[in-house]
Amino acid sequence: MESIKIKKITSVWIITVLVLFVASIVLGILMRLNQGGALNQAPINFYSNMTIHGLTMIGIWFVAGMAGINFLMERYVKTSYKANLTAFILTVIGVVMLWVITLVGKFHVAWTFLYPMPFKIMWAKWATPAFLVAMSILSIGWLIWSISMMTQILKKYSIAQAFAWQHFTKDPSVKTPPFILISMITLVGVITCLFVAVVLMALYFAEFLSKGSFVNDALLMKNLTYFFGHTIANEMLYLGLAVLYELFAEVGGKAKWQTSWYVALAWNFTLIFILTAFFHHLYMDFVQPEGFQIIGQLASYMASLPAAAVTVFSVWVAVYRTKIKWSLTNLLFFIGVAGWVIGGFGAVIDATISNNVVLHNTLWVPAHFHSYNVMGNVLFSLAFFYWFSIQFTEKVVNERLSKLVLSLLIIGGAGFLLAFYLGGADSIPRRYSNYPAEFTSAKPLALVGAAFATVYLIPILILFVTITKRCIKVLFSSR
Amino acid sequence: MHQNSILLLFFFLMGIALIVFTYIFFSSKKADQGMSNPLKKRFWFFLILVFILGIFASVTIPNSPYFAHAGETPAKVVHVAAAQFIFYMSEQAIDPAKPSGHPIELPANEVVEFRVTSLDVNHGFAIYDETGRLITQTQAMPGYVNRLRYKFDQPGKYHVLCLEYCGIAHQIMRTSFTVN
Amino acid sequence: MYKSFVFFALIVLLTHSSSAQSFSDAMKEEINIYQKIYDAPLQVAGKPPASFKEFYSQQPFVLALVFTRCVGICSPFLVNLKETIQLQPFEKDFKIIVVSFDPWDTADEMELLARNLGLKSDPKWIFAVTDSIDQMNRSLGFDPVWDSVRMQFDHDALLVGINGDGYITKKLIGLRERNELNQLVASIHNVFSPTYRLPNPNILFSCFNYDPISGKNKPGLGLAFLALPAVMAVGVLLIVSMSVRKRKIL
Repeated sequence: MESIKIKKITSVWIITVLVLFVASIVLGILMRLNQGGALNQAPINFYSNMTIHGLTMIGIWFVAGMAGINFLMERYVKTSYKANLTAFILTVIGVVMLWVITLVGKFHVAWTFLYPMPFKIMWAKWATPAFLVAMSILSIGWLIWSISMMTQILKKYSIAQAFAWQHFTKDPSVKTPPFILISMITLVGVITCLFVAVVLMALYFAEFLSKGSFVNDALLMKNLTYFFGHTIANEMLYLGLAVLYELFAEVGGKAKWQTSWYVALAWNFTLIFILTAFFHHLYMDFVQPEGFQIIGQLASYMASLPAAAVTVFSVWVAVYRTKIKWSLTNLLFFIGVAGWVIGGFGAVIDATISNNVVLHNTLWVPAHFHSYNVMGNVLFSLAFFYWFSIQFTEKVVNERLSKLVLSLLIIGGAGFLLAFYLGGADSIPRRYSNYPAEFTSAKPLALVGAAFATVYLIPILILFVTITKRCIKVLFSSR
Repeated sequence: MHQNSILLLFFFLMGIALIVFTYIFFSSKKADQGMSNPLKKRFWFFLILVFILGIFASVTIPNSPYFAHAGETPAKVVHVAAAQFIFYMSEQAIDPAKPSGHPIELPANEVVEFRVTSLDVNHGFAIYDETGRLITQTQAMPGYVNRLRYKFDQPGKYHVLCLEYCGIAHQIMRTSFTVN
Repeated sequence: MYKSFVFFALIVLLTHSSSAQSFSDAMKEEINIYQKIYDAPLQVAGKPPASFKEFYSQQPFVLALVFTRCVGICSPFLVNLKETIQLQPFEKDFKIIVVSFDPWDTADEMELLARNLGLKSDPKWIFAVTDSIDQMNRSLGFDPVWDSVRMQFDHDALLVGINGDGYITKKLIGLRERNELNQLVASIHNVFSPTYRLPNPNILFSCFNYDPISGKNKPGLGLAFLALPAVMAVGVLLIVSMSVRKRKIL
């Protein structure tokens, strides 16, 4: 009985994410077309689109990761259907509110909503309080979900076991599956950054309700904003990795990966580094104490180390000269890891303060984070979606279609990202609705980006149709 | 130029990654016993990464902009107040109640200091040279002053663009100054 | 401790009555930064005439502007500065030059002020008058206004940092925290700090606050807000673990 429920809610999550994903890609393409001069949107529409594009993408790939680990976690512990459903309902309410606020209310603060911009009303008056309410609803919904999952893990594993600390001893009596370890590490990070969101919203509400008698500190608010924003964007990638750890070997017909002492150590360190890496968003705020800036650079470097050395190498070891059953699922994982590594290089370069001075808020920034989303985390989640969809329906897989999907994903993604990287190296600013004339390469690059993003959209639509069809079947089946 | 070497480094690293991933992918087609001694290899891989990143950090951190021209007295100070959607630049302090600016001329090959603040939301203060290259930047934050020191070695006209999204006219918020 | 509290209360009262601190006033400290101070001739009682240049070319200094008949901020302001310095001397040496901006003040009256403050024999402190008050004020961007009803100047309590080349490196208006004095002293020795906070009344949640009594850099309430979520997460972890695992937590 319970397993039917989890199947159905997971299907609903997948369909919701895919619908919103396609809509947000279209918004993204419209933005690039406008920047390229092929469209002529009013700046207010461009920036409203930009705001909802960012908010939606962060939101959906976070919940996609959560839905993924929730489904797979049923293999180890029982999870709470109620929490899952609550999160879904609150997410839908929050997302619908955000779309109305941005597209009807013309609320255009970018997804980072840097203080004090939400209070400098340049949109419908109701939009600011509605935005704060929507963000609070999302934070609370996700907080309930993550704490509930953490609770279920802790029912079976002690804290030490959940963090795999017993693997530091010679012969651990209890083995912690890597999936549980990574989920646990990620959930603690997620809970932390959602608490940050709660604090941030409380400070916003305090100022909003005080009618001017209480004013926030801009530096603190910026720190909190990126503590929340950067961390959740980073953690959603790790949710995707947890799924990869669980499924990559299994789909390839190999023995499941085991936790070893250094896997445990690497992921435990990741938890610490990921919570301090956000300082790199404030490099150009010279007001931030220098110590924090240097911690930011070191933590950004270190955050890449354990994950890269352990995960990437594990994937290599699993593939190198090994007979493996390749399918769309593990190919998406494999390509996703490559995209993640390449985006990681872009990120490490940008996380270097002396480079950041000429890269900060240029197109290099969307270049690198789109790399490990468009060609990384999205592929991890799509791999899960696809794998999920063929578990409970007919397993007829069209090999040619799979090849087409992968080729178009790679071509579209690579071209789309390259336009961003070249633009970043050409000093073109990000978040400009129209480019000043002196950036001669900006418009052509934007059009190239739009064209390749359209190529990327084709396989997404193919996957959308095939996966959604199967998920709808799951939804209406009684088994 | 800085950006070119960054792009070159990125392409180099990307190339290596692509070669490794492609090679490993095709190696699975002619499978044998798999990687020998992966644990030991992983350890070395990790150590090399730590080593490279350690060098990278120790070389780059001292070049951070916070330490630029720290021990010198600037030849000229320019006060900058950013506001939606305009930059005020003046050699006199700017009164937020009635901000005003004037055309700025700066000496070449001498340290100048920009004292940057914001009168409303967060803004960016990014200096572009005549060829449209971003050469340095800082942020403008309400309630704080950021001090950016720079030595211009090329005379000419420089543009300032806002590089922190600040609202509907962010893309046209700009000013310029000359270096003689 | 009690005395400094009284002074603090007094000065807060006085600064608020004369000029409420607003963001606009905060920008006053930016006026004439890195301009050269006017090389006004100075007269110190019982000493040969000198000028600012002769002082700063020997050692950078902090300039305090007062007038002896002031019934308001001048005296508590100087006492507070004196106590701050005596409580915890600065690492690098510098002089404090107190100059009157009242044309009626004489060098002897300034000497009397020094004696009353117990600073007459302190070699760090110099009390002087000048006959070029207007030029000096203009070069500092200092603008006292004579109030003929109260027979007093309406003025800011101003400290100006002058480095070894005679440039104005930093200004502080009103009673300020120890750390800001540190920054002022550092600036006259050309120690660069890439930023500083503008004085504004909303510092409740700033990330760093400075304790003027100990002179230490204290994490502010704002920093607690940065750490709070992590503490809350660990708390939730422990509480959940305790409630679902009766036997042992770890």
